[in-house]
Order: sequence, then structure tokens, then C-alpha cells
Amino acid sequence: MSLRATLTSFALASSLIAAPALAADKVIFQLDWLPGGDKAPIYVCIHDGFCRDAGLNVTIASGRGSTDAISRLAAGSADVGVADIGALLAAKANENVKVTAIFSEFNKGPHALYVIKSGRIGSMADLKGKTIATSPFTSSNFYLPLVLKDKGVESSDVKLIKAEPGSLGPMLMAGNVDGIVAWMTDLTRYRNQGKEAGKEIVVLPWSAAGLELYSASLIANDDFLAKRPEVAKRFVEAYKKSIEFAKAEPAKAAAAVKAIVAEISTEDVEGSLNDTLPLIFNEVTDKDGLGVFEPARLAETWRRVSAAQSIDPAKFDPEKAVTRHFIPAK
Amino acid sequence: MTSVPTYAASSSKRQPKAMTDPVAGASPFFRRLATAPGMATLGSLIAVVILWELTARIFAIPSYLLPTPSSVIQSFSSIGYDRWFVHVWATLRVAMIGYALSIVIAIPLAILMLRSPFLSRTLYPLLVVVQSTPVVAVAPIIIVSLGAGDAPRVVITCLITFFPLVVSTATGLAATPPELIELSRSLRAPAWREITQIRLPFAVPYIFSALKISITLAVIGAVVAEFCASEAGVGYFIQFSTSMFRLPQAWAGLIVLAAMSLALFQLVLFAQKSLFPWSLPKKD
Repeated sequence: MSLRATLTSFALASSLIAAPALAADKVIFQLDWLPGGDKAPIYVCIHDGFCRDAGLNVTIASGRGSTDAISRLAAGSADVGVADIGALLAAKANENVKVTAIFSEFNKGPHALYVIKSGRIGSMADLKGKTIATSPFTSSNFYLPLVLKDKGVESSDVKLIKAEPGSLGPMLMAGNVDGIVAWMTDLTRYRNQGKEAGKEIVVLPWSAAGLELYSASLIANDDFLAKRPEVAKRFVEAYKKSIEFAKAEPAKAAAAVKAIVAEISTEDVEGSLNDTLPLIFNEVTDKDGLGVFEPARLAETWRRVSAAQSIDPAKFDPEKAVTRHFIPAK
Repeated sequence: MTSVPTYAASSSKRQPKAMTDPVAGASPFFRRLATAPGMATLGSLIAVVILWELTARIFAIPSYLLPTPSSVIQSFSSIGYDRWFVHVWATLRVAMIGYALSIVIAIPLAILMLRSPFLSRTLYPLLVVVQSTPVVAVAPIIIVSLGAGDAPRVVITCLITFFPLVVSTATGLAATPPELIELSRSLRAPAWREITQIRLPFAVPYIFSALKISITLAVIGAVVAEFCASEAGVGYFIQFSTSMFRLPQAWAGLIVLAAMSLALFQLVLFAQKSLFPWSLPKKD
């Protein structure tokens, strides 16, 4: 074999060996908040190889709320991310931001009221004349007036205090407030905090109070979907596998988060993940499937969001905010 | 009537002795230790920490309200040294680049404003507007505009540190004795020599006052930026720890941040002492 032929064969062999590494498509994933157990699927995707097997090289950027995540996705700082679909519907109706929901993750809202057992609140209907605390930027604040109205309580009858998320638990334990607005994904952490204070925490989910809506969803930049649809499709498939893995192996999923985020404790992640899984896998998932945007539920989500944000519901068609093209087949 | 003056007289004799030599009866070793520089500060700090630990334990204060100093110390090892290094370096890098950028912009700008009354009239109100705008309010806009990476955090840090530097430098440059300026002009010294050899040396104490203020503001700026968007940094670490209800860990981050600010302040002071010792205030 001539030298030229040898070199050519060598180059060809090298390129074939290097092909999978070179082919990995870069994707920037935008979180809507800081890392935690409720964000485990994307860490599983990276750590346990689902993203790699799909030919994806994914990096994660943390966010500071759904609005922040949607702004960054719209600005093109990230390709795909997770954010509340309520915030997306409002943003699309008001600003027509260039992002679209491609996969439903939480088909139930995570919003809840936490109270102390044997405290002054036993149900959402007891809120009249009580003081509750919430964090300033949570999407739960939009839905609170609706839940109160459903229970016959006027918003003006409830004293609402805005406080930094980390101080909500201590305010509840110290008896500064009768209840706090927080997500179901933090149930274990609040219960542990209650144990330390010698108090039992009771959670009142708003989904049980009649608030039926989609919540956290995968949302992608429109340019990313238009220019790299195959990458988006592979990503959603890998993400779905990661969610299913997290359900089957929560301990391994927690270890995956810990492997990437050293500051977190595996127990905290596993607790939060177990609190999160019922928002992903429930009777709605059994009926419609994982990741699906069922038209009637999506319309109900928009009805609630538009009412909460005082937007004319006829102003926007919620179907324009989603695409079902990237949802893997059952 | 006679007892009062007797008491006053005796106490006035004892008082000066107690004031001048509080460790009169101690051994030479303890005497040296007690009078060593910084010992009073260290002693009071240790006393506060012991009091804090005892109060938290005796009253069984939950860790989410006030963690004990021992739990804070333990939480330093909750992440490895390599992670601490990542966080400290991320904050330090942004603080230093932002600080350097503000120096590079502020000092020439102050010189330009001194030389041009027109620029001074037009830029000064703008600078006041920039300074009056809460950086926390504009930080999210800066982050969305400049994208991920260090750039938005550096800009936020620069915005916070910039104003004291411009104002102090401009004040220092203008504070030069007019007779020296008249002398230099009578000797037909060019403008750049007037600036570099007369005005800037006179402005050095003012510039260093601002540099000392700005170095602590630089750390604050970096932390504010990390609170808005970051994947690493001591501010991010504190925010993350708080969100995970890990208060002792958040306190550990606060201590690191305070130590970092203190070290950087001392570094600026050291630079002033080494390079411009004459610019320091005279000791009594």
C-alpha cells in the first residue's frame, strides 16, 4: 500500500472514530429556577447518557423564574428550557414572544398553601381574615385570586405579605403568618423544617381546590425549532426517557443531580423529586399520555391564566403557543 | 460631707493606672499577647461567637432562624475545596474585571470632564442618573441584552463601582492649588504635564479613597449580578443554599464574602502604602 493510500485510510478511520463526538449537537437548556429535585430529568439526561446517546451536548443555565427563562429563550441565550406555560401564554398574548411550548411536563399545577396543623387554616375556604406570605415572583400569585374566588373568599379579605422564598418557611414556623404559598415540589423540605420546629405541616394543593391546568413545560426558541427541528426532536425524546428513568429510579436520578451540582444534598433532591413526580405522573397522564397538550385542558389553562392576568380570553388562541410536532409517539 | 471628696480623690488616683496598664499583673507572655496588634478585635470577635453559640443552644433556636457558629463551621466542608475555589474565583474574577474596567473608564473621564466644561455639564447629570437608577432593577435587562457569560455581570459591577471613582477623581483633580497651576502655565508646561505631574499627584488621596470604597462595592456588584444570573459564585452559592433551606451553608458563604471584601480592601490599602505612602493621612 502506498503512503498516500495509508494516510487516506488512516484519515478516514480517524474521522469515523471521531464522528459521534463531532456530531454531538450543542443545546443550551434554560432552567426556570435553581437546580433541584424538580429539575432532575435534565441532569439525568446529561449524567446517565440519554442526551449523549441522542447525539446531544447539553449545557444547563439556571434561571430566576419562568418570566426570566422565557425572556432568555426569546432572546436566543438558550435553545430550550423549562418554564410555566401560564407565563408563556401571557407573554404570547401580550408580546407575541418567539418561543413555543413543545412538551408538557407538569400536567397539574404545583401551587399550594402550606399551613401548620391545628393552626387557624384548615382549608382554602378558611383564608378570610388570615395573613399569608408568598414570594414576589412566583407564578402562584396569579392564580391565588382565582382559587380564593372559587372558594368564595375575596382577595381583599386576605392579608398577603411578599417575602424572599427562603424566609417563607421560618415565617410560618415562627407564627408570623397563618400560611405560605409555595410549590408542592418543596413538600419534603418544609416538612423537615416543621419537624425541626416541632410542628406538623399540612399542604393544601390548589389542584385539589379545582385549579386544573398545565404548568411546567418544555419551551423552545422558535428559531431553534425552525433551523434545527431534528435536534429538538431528539432532545425531547431523550428528555422523555430521562423523566421515565427518574420515575423508575429516583435514587439514581438524585445521584445524577448531585454528581453535577455538588452544593446539593442527595436526600434533598430525592425528597423534592418524589414530591414532583405526582405532578408529572397522575390520572391525567394515564388518560392523555406523557408530554401531551390535550386541547380542552390547554383551553382551561388559558381561561384561568387570562382571568388571573385580566386579559381578554378571545385575544389569543392558546393553540398558537404550543406545537405537538415534537412530542414522541406513545 | 467629707467622705465624698475622699472617694473622688482616691478613685482619681487609681483610674489612670487601670487605663494605661490593663494587664499589669499578667506574665510577660500574656502581656505581649494582650497588647499585640489586632488582639482586642480578635478577642471581641471570639467572645461574640461564643455568646452566639451559647444563646442558640440554650434557647434551642432552630437552624433556619439562626444557625449555631459550630454548624456554620461544619458546613464549610459540605462542598469540597475545589467547589469553594470555583465559587470564590467566579466572584473574584467578575469583581476584579468590573473594578478594573471602572478604573480604566472613570479616571480618563474625570480628566476629560476637568478639561472640558461642556463635557462636565453634559456628562455629570447623566452620571447622576446612572447612579440614581437602582442596579438591581436594571440588572435583569442587562442580562437579557448581553446574554450568558461574564459580560453582563462585569457591566453590573462596573456600573456600581464607577460613580465614586469619577466623582472623587474629578474632585481631587480640581483641588490642586491654583498657584501651582498658574506656575506651570507660566512655565508653558503642556496640558498633559499639568495633568500627570501636578493634578494627578494631588488627586491621589482622593482616588485612593474612592478605590477603597469601590473595591467593596465591586464585591457587592458581583453578588448582585450573581443573584440575577449565574451558574457559580459566592452570591449564587448563598442564594442556592437559601433556596434549599440550608442556612448554615448560606452563612458560610456570607463569611467567605466578608473575608473576600476585607482582603481586597487591605490589598488596596497595601498598594497605597507601597506606591504612594505620602498620600496617607499623617498619624498623630
